[in-house]
Amino acid sequence: MSTLVLGASAGLGRALARELATRGENLVLVARDGRDLAAEAANLRTAYGVAVDCLALDAAVPHEAERLTGLPNADAIRHLIFPIGMGTEDDDGLLPPSRVAALVNTNLTSVMAVVSLFLPQLLAADSGTVVGIGSVAALRGRSHNITYAAAKRGLESYFESLRHRTAATGVRVQFYRLGYLDTQMSFGRSLPFPKASPQAIADIITRNLGKDIGCVTLPRFWRPISWVVRALPWPLYRRLHF
Amino acid sequence: MACNESDAWPVGPSKPQLLTTMDGGVQIAAALERPDRYAFFHKAEDALQAIPRGAGFSFAAASFGADVISIDLRSFDRVLDFDSLSGHIEVEAGISLGALFEFLTPRGYYLPVQPGHHRITVGGCIAANVHGKNPARDGTFVTQVESLRLFHPRHGCLELSPAKEPTLFHATCGGVGLTGIIISARLRAQRLPSTSLCVAHHQVATIAEGASLLREQSAHRDLTYAWFDCARFGHTFGRGVVVTGEFASGQRGAPAVKLPPSRFSPETRARLPFTQLNPVSVRLINAAYSRSLCRSNQTNVPLAKALYPTRASELFLSLFGRRGFHECQAIIPHDKVTAYVEQVRERASHGRVCIALAVAKPFDGKSELVRFDGSGVSFAIEVPRTAAAAQFMREIDRLVVQLGGRPNLIKDSRLPREIFEATYLDCDRFRSVLRQWDPQRVFRSELSERLGL
Repeated sequence: MSTLVLGASAGLGRALARELATRGENLVLVARDGRDLAAEAANLRTAYGVAVDCLALDAAVPHEAERLTGLPNADAIRHLIFPIGMGTEDDDGLLPPSRVAALVNTNLTSVMAVVSLFLPQLLAADSGTVVGIGSVAALRGRSHNITYAAAKRGLESYFESLRHRTAATGVRVQFYRLGYLDTQMSFGRSLPFPKASPQAIADIITRNLGKDIGCVTLPRFWRPISWVVRALPWPLYRRLHF
Repeated sequence: MACNESDAWPVGPSKPQLLTTMDGGVQIAAALERPDRYAFFHKAEDALQAIPRGAGFSFAAASFGADVISIDLRSFDRVLDFDSLSGHIEVEAGISLGALFEFLTPRGYYLPVQPGHHRITVGGCIAANVHGKNPARDGTFVTQVESLRLFHPRHGCLELSPAKEPTLFHATCGGVGLTGIIISARLRAQRLPSTSLCVAHHQVATIAEGASLLREQSAHRDLTYAWFDCARFGHTFGRGVVVTGEFASGQRGAPAVKLPPSRFSPETRARLPFTQLNPVSVRLINAAYSRSLCRSNQTNVPLAKALYPTRASELFLSLFGRRGFHECQAIIPHDKVTAYVEQVRERASHGRVCIALAVAKPFDGKSELVRFDGSGVSFAIEVPRTAAAAQFMREIDRLVVQLGGRPNLIKDSRLPREIFEATYLDCDRFRSVLRQWDPQRVFRSELSERLGL
């Protein structure tokens, strides 16, 4: 049995890979740059003694995901975790189509592509977990992160459908709506709420594997914030700049 | 992999963050980047000026400067390879000594040369060519470095070792980050004889006596240092304890060790703005410390505690308050120790300066380029940062030059250029290596600007 982590080279993905390796899980790590993957895999093999397969692919090109089925231990994959995300400072609705496509593909389409490749074997085994990672940025659309938030909102919808699709099976579908994380994406930015440590989130996600928890917002203090943000009437919401 | 579209070497401005030296002497709002992917290390002709940064524990501003981007490398913290037969280990430069210790100890290995805080990074140890618990016998950190990978935005990545690119290798080990970014290093770990040290305490009446005992003991001990009580200026000045240790006989290897977490940093070092160290409190602390050392002549100390006396040093440094302290660590030739001690006592007494800490270690090496090494005894003196202390430090500077000593440039955030040049006679060769390797000088820091490097 092994766990596939898409977006494993940094941030939450790296923390998840380490957390899983600490628990003796074999891993399939997928990320854009083979150099990052090689270093991470070497560390996990040397420090934790787990088996690690790697595949470098560009999630902005979703059909590249088909290469995953060629991995020697692809049949053994039982959990799919998607700590993948890409954002850009100038995502204000005016990006050229190629960059919009790259953002949507990376945040949404590639995840759907990988799930479609491995869901049959999870259903056949009647076990396994599919974990999607969303963002509080998708709670309500706003003038920043327009494409990113749209893709993450789409992802949330996709995971809801997926959970419904697998409800009668042993496959568990989970979705985490995450607040700010202390990763390179948020480094140096002054944000209105504290950043959570990727290690702490990775610990929770790993412990929850196999459980039927649905959609969870983390850290917990974001739950009341998300209720308020969602409940704000438009005449008030349109005046906010955040 | 939550990431930005571009993870490459910065060519535009970054947000500034207030960075400070451990001694509180230099504070600069510097741009800070924290890359976590190898895509960052790509060639760029128009690279902005930068300097690598590890844990930022240096007492001098070696990892930041005005109009310089500090590159925090702590996300590169992985073990890349380990040979359990030879003990050779390849690690990324941002790995902390603590993480390396936790990896090596259960596998029966350790690094003999290490500074005293487990959050310091391997890259920082190489760049500062730090020393450990017995520099006279074990040398400095460079003795453990088999090879390293260096990145420079104009040259790309290079493999350096004493055999391959020796000039650049030697300029990088102890080169305070000015040759480029150390990405990874292959280190030689040693077999771990046991998991604890048998530590002995020898009381000495004077610093000269302590220095001579240090020299005598250094050849066959795994740990040798001396602590002196310099808070009293009378005949008891310099009364102290020489601490020696060797590995206790026992089984090789150890169960997994978890070092205590620490959030200590120069920015969070002290809560109170003023120093709590004055002649009265230092006397009380020294008396208590001396009693604790002398309670038993011989004790068994766990290796982790002997290598990283973290809690005690964090507490002690916090007592200096936010204003901070001055440290002068200098190697004094053996035959000048008595003169040095006498002059220090006289000037501290005359200037009414409170010497809060005085420790010594034996050295028996040769300084090359700008590395802190030499033959003699290194004395580290810490005093609260006051106007009188600044004058005292200037006097100690002149004394060190006069006695043929050498100050540690990463332990003193105000070391003047003329004192540096008078004590590091090989510094021009270092400058010429830098000029040849990097004529545009991409890598700079407050330290390099101050010392004219």
